[in-house]
Amino acid sequence: MAIQEQLKKMILDVLPDVDCVIGWGPGPDPLRGSPFFMRKPEDVESFMAGPMAVQNPALFLPEYKGKKVGVVVKGCDSRSVVQLISEDLIKREEVVIIGFPCDGVLDVAKVENALASHGEPGEITAVEFSGGEVKVTLAGNTHSLKFDDVKADKCGRCAVPNAVMSDFFAGIAREASGVKDDYEDLAALEKMSLEERFAFWENEMSRCLRCYACRNACPMCVCRDHCVASSRIPHWISQADSTRDKLMFQVIHAVHLAGRCTGCGECQRVCPVGIPVLLLKRTLSKGVTELFDYAAGMDTESKPPLLTFQVEEATIKERNW
Amino acid sequence: MNAQNKFISRAKLADWLKELSSRFEVWAPRKEGEGARSVVVYRPFEAEKGLELDRKPTESAKHTMFPRSETLFNFRRNLVEGAPSLELEEAADPAPRLVFGLLSCDARGFQIFDPVYNGSGTNGQAKDTYYLKRRSSTVLIVKSCSKVLSTCFCNWVGGGPASTEGADVLATEVQDGFLLTPVSERGAAVLDSSLLAATNSDMESAAADSQTKAAAALPAAPDLKESQSALLGKFDNAAFWQAESSKCLSCGACTYLCPTCYCFNISDEAAGYNGVRLRNWDSCMMPLFTMEASGHNPRTPKMGRLKNRVGHKFSYYPSLHGGRIACCGCGRCIKSCPSSVDIRRIVTDAIGFTETVGLKEQNNG
Amino acid sequence: MANENATPTPTYEPGTRNPYMPYVATVVEVVTETHNIKTFRLRLDGEGVHEAFDHKPGQTGQLSVFGVGESTFVINSPPTRKDKYIQFSCMRAGEVTTALHGLQAGDKIGVRAPMGNSFDYDAMKGKDIFFIGGGIGMAPMRTLLLYMLDNRKDYGKISLLYGAKSPEDLSFAEDREDWLKRDDMNTYLTIDKEAPGWEHKVGLIPHVLEAIGPSPENCVAITCGPPIMIKFVLQALNKLGFKPDQIVTTLEKRMKCGIGICGRCNIGGKYVCIDGPVFTFEQLSQMPNEL
Repeated sequence: MAIQEQLKKMILDVLPDVDCVIGWGPGPDPLRGSPFFMRKPEDVESFMAGPMAVQNPALFLPEYKGKKVGVVVKGCDSRSVVQLISEDLIKREEVVIIGFPCDGVLDVAKVENALASHGEPGEITAVEFSGGEVKVTLAGNTHSLKFDDVKADKCGRCAVPNAVMSDFFAGIAREASGVKDDYEDLAALEKMSLEERFAFWENEMSRCLRCYACRNACPMCVCRDHCVASSRIPHWISQADSTRDKLMFQVIHAVHLAGRCTGCGECQRVCPVGIPVLLLKRTLSKGVTELFDYAAGMDTESKPPLLTFQVEEATIKERNW
Repeated sequence: MNAQNKFISRAKLADWLKELSSRFEVWAPRKEGEGARSVVVYRPFEAEKGLELDRKPTESAKHTMFPRSETLFNFRRNLVEGAPSLELEEAADPAPRLVFGLLSCDARGFQIFDPVYNGSGTNGQAKDTYYLKRRSSTVLIVKSCSKVLSTCFCNWVGGGPASTEGADVLATEVQDGFLLTPVSERGAAVLDSSLLAATNSDMESAAADSQTKAAAALPAAPDLKESQSALLGKFDNAAFWQAESSKCLSCGACTYLCPTCYCFNISDEAAGYNGVRLRNWDSCMMPLFTMEASGHNPRTPKMGRLKNRVGHKFSYYPSLHGGRIACCGCGRCIKSCPSSVDIRRIVTDAIGFTETVGLKEQNNG
Repeated sequence: MANENATPTPTYEPGTRNPYMPYVATVVEVVTETHNIKTFRLRLDGEGVHEAFDHKPGQTGQLSVFGVGESTFVINSPPTRKDKYIQFSCMRAGEVTTALHGLQAGDKIGVRAPMGNSFDYDAMKGKDIFFIGGGIGMAPMRTLLLYMLDNRKDYGKISLLYGAKSPEDLSFAEDREDWLKRDDMNTYLTIDKEAPGWEHKVGLIPHVLEAIGPSPENCVAITCGPPIMIKFVLQALNKLGFKPDQIVTTLEKRMKCGIGICGRCNIGGKYVCIDGPVFTFEQLSQMPNEL
């Protein structure tokens, strides 16, 4: 039985015991999937897993605190669930986790960019996946793209294709590619001088609309309705439309995520104006990995290093002791 | 109006915009960002940064008329012992603008602003002087759409890919350039350049042909006149709104990309004794939007906020403004929504004819 | 090809007053009413500006503390008593009210007023009026009450029930003394729990109201206070036989522009800043339920 069918069966089994099961369903066009909340058995018919399972459904779990919900997770999503549990933002017993072996998800922007010379990507009428290829029908012509070229960046460095933790798992766990995350995406930025780097961010942030999709799409961004971005007491961020204040918010967001960010990349994916905000979080994640040999969202018992304190950290030798 | 249609070649377009820059602050769409992250945004025209007229702009042209942040006035406090004084200085008048290459839907968006900002449409008679000054000094050159996206629905709400409503000039792409049709007097007045050429009958028929084709590519428009009563009828239906809003992140992407969302906040930023009073874009999707000083918030949880966004566009605004729907069908809120929330689907669900308009296949969750 | 029927672009008419520019005013006097309510008496700066100012009972204004921001309050002095000042009473709750509470006589303040609708005091002529106010909710009603007392012959029996948690939470001490003394109105004061030296009623406002038992005949009830009080006052008035169109209240909403544009204070198609703040319960019952 195909993974998707196995998952549907598991969801139907879980459904009577939960408020809803969160997964993925069809979106407004063939290229765009959608988070999908299944409440009735007939809803499950439209459930979709696979390369269209783009969004991170763990995001919604804290809204359902106090109720029991089911969630279908990719490996990366499961790390968010684990991190939420470890920070007591959700309760383990209130969530039923359904995992499956993930082969990577589509980056809609990459598909649109790859086909830009063939017409407006919004005219896409069909998308099919078969054997490492994506066949996209645009303006009456079908174009074949290599899935590896249009999958999300995070999938290329994925070490966790299966759920870290699950109550049910569809199919057979997939082996990780063995690729080590060498933070290659940060290399260009790290080579820049401080002035160049600041200019890079000023240029990128000049597009920011302050819609805060990045913040609201982050499963670990927990202040929600009490965000420093709009708070007047304390008044840390000006309401003026300045790139520096916008960057200031991004830096605060990133620092609060140091050691907590699981790298799901939703902040960057959802940015309507294409600002690479994940680079800030990845910069901090790299530091946390190097200093503390720690990865967030792998173990519900572990605590993020910046939420704990040790008089002497094994890898920090600030006084050359 | 008797003014003649004109032709501007792609090769001379930048020169023409440069020429117009001596009379106007010219804004036009250009590409920004790298590779797959690139987007099309409206910016003050800089010839060396190029133009992007082949992809539809990611954002609307709203900020060319209604800045994301604008100074209402400056204040200076003088705390002299015994005689404190206060000076308020109104922001300077805006320079005349010309926006080249906005879409028909963008231009129609400003028409949704107009009755609210000129005090004609509600009980409030106040005229928003900042908006009106910019509005009356801005020339809009609309580029008609030759392509229709899956998220386009301008024809549902009275528009079309080559609608001239709100435009001063309509630019239609033809071989190697654009056919320029003056729509208003001030539009005709910007077509007096020697860089523009006379049109010929081939161009005229090519332009007419492209406009007809684009209009025909839009799916049939359902009749939305019931949206006003249908959305009010669903106001207290929590199950309906919970289902429609489950996947909504309650971010402001939809409202800030929208050509018709006109809400704002007013706040002060001070440095020492001096400072500014600012008007900034605000969004009914943000929880603080309606948070009262007492801590009470009439629109929490998030379903109340999505309900207001849809309700305002398709019910409350039309009830105040002669039935006109406060949506121009550009589809940006759908295309760029992190969670694929589809406003068309919410409205047709409320009216109860989602299946008839062919949106059944997608599931709103 | 030009669209002859196109809506014309709105034009800016020079000389139009900028509705966002506040009048500058001077704080004449600050009265400490309770531990968290202060009253500010203001006079508009500039020759003839204060004299030309005109408002109706129930209308609101926006007060600015420059550098902090602007908030909406009801003007709680009547037009009949504005020679020396106009008055606002503000409960300390957020950033702007905290800054307001730091003001002293002589300080400069911004005022945008008057805004919104008013009590329909003409339609109330010849009727009995029963005011029911809780806490800071007394502020909007004070304007109308004083206005009616200044035009006493136009109205029937005037009664006031004003309550707060404790004696220390009651505002308008000077007014209260006057109201209690007057023989052309009935004044009932109440506090939630017994307190030493308290000579008036004890009990929650809705209970006291029921015990007083005003007749709905030719009477208008005007009520303002916290939402939970309003809820139970409505039930009590309902029991006493008052119809929704005989009950008037003022609404609180977060407001910014105050002129029906910025979009945050709507209840369906009504904007509280311009269509309100005064509504009858008959009107509210026809609006979406989003208080």
